[in-house]
Amino acid sequence: MPDKLKDILANLSTEVDQETLLKYLEGRLSEEQKHEVEKKMLATEFSDDAMEGLQGIKNKSDISSLVEQLNRDLHKKLEKKKQKREKFRIKDQPWLYIAIVIILLLIVISYVVVLRMLQP
Amino acid sequence: MKFQIPRIIENEISYFQTVNAKLHKNITDQELLERFYADRDNQWLGILLERYTLLLLGVCMKYLKNEEQARDGVQQIFLKAITELQKYKVEYFKSWIYMVAKNYCLMQLRDKPGKNTIEVRESLPAEATEADKESLLLNEKTYEYMDEALKELNADQQLCVTLFYMEKKSYQQIADQTGYSMMQVKSHIQNGKRNMKILIEKKLSQ
Repeated sequence: MPDKLKDILANLSTEVDQETLLKYLEGRLSEEQKHEVEKKMLATEFSDDAMEGLQGIKNKSDISSLVEQLNRDLHKKLEKKKQKREKFRIKDQPWLYIAIVIILLLIVISYVVVLRMLQP
Repeated sequence: MKFQIPRIIENEISYFQTVNAKLHKNITDQELLERFYADRDNQWLGILLERYTLLLLGVCMKYLKNEEQARDGVQQIFLKAITELQKYKVEYFKSWIYMVAKNYCLMQLRDKPGKNTIEVRESLPAEATEADKESLLLNEKTYEYMDEALKELNADQQLCVTLFYMEKKSYQQIADQTGYSMMQVKSHIQNGKRNMKILIEKKLSQ
């Protein structure tokens, strides 16, 4: 009894993995498993909000393909960002080398010029 | 001409991404972020954000009440997260991403006249409230008062809390048994839980 009472105030493990949550939404869990998911989802405001929203989706069987699509888009976005960054890196390196060479040349030239001017 | 990845390859990619996500199941959010900050490899952000796709979709659905808008919302939240995470370090990812999501939704609602009746709640970092609960649980007197507090709830809340936490019934079973709708059951449990906490805190401070 005290253990069960404790559940009311405790945040047990607050994580419900997405696969289990999807199964819950699609009604593919036993009553006991449903209770576990519901209890965990009540633990934080974040998961509680999410639960309320997800239950508002009419066609529950569409959710998993929607999530898959969103994840695919996410990876495409990240891939693009990575390519952009790599391109930028290759592009901006030659300038760095050119600048170093020019500065070194200027130093050598000015050294020679000053040396000549100092000579009688 | 833009090169389009054939559908079959896309499916293969998504399969490997799922496998990839499963391989990293034991890594915490914090560790994933640290790995990203160490080598700036977007792969870590992908694994991290993917963990929250379904929850974010739910939050967007709750506030925007439209599937199309909710889907766009999740994409926008991902974009925002990717840019912001590259700019500064985030300590508690879960509460942070929740705040980003909620702010996005509230901004959307604010832009739409007539729909801005939504309640704006200050979002406290979840960690602080969890610590609060921990200290409440450590107090031995809490248990003594719990029984009393449960009996002081109104009949609806008492019934739903008892059926849910003591008899471990699901919302559906409680709804069938009591005749309430699933939403009513959930709100009785939630309010009962909150009231019990207030009652116990009051008793403890006496």
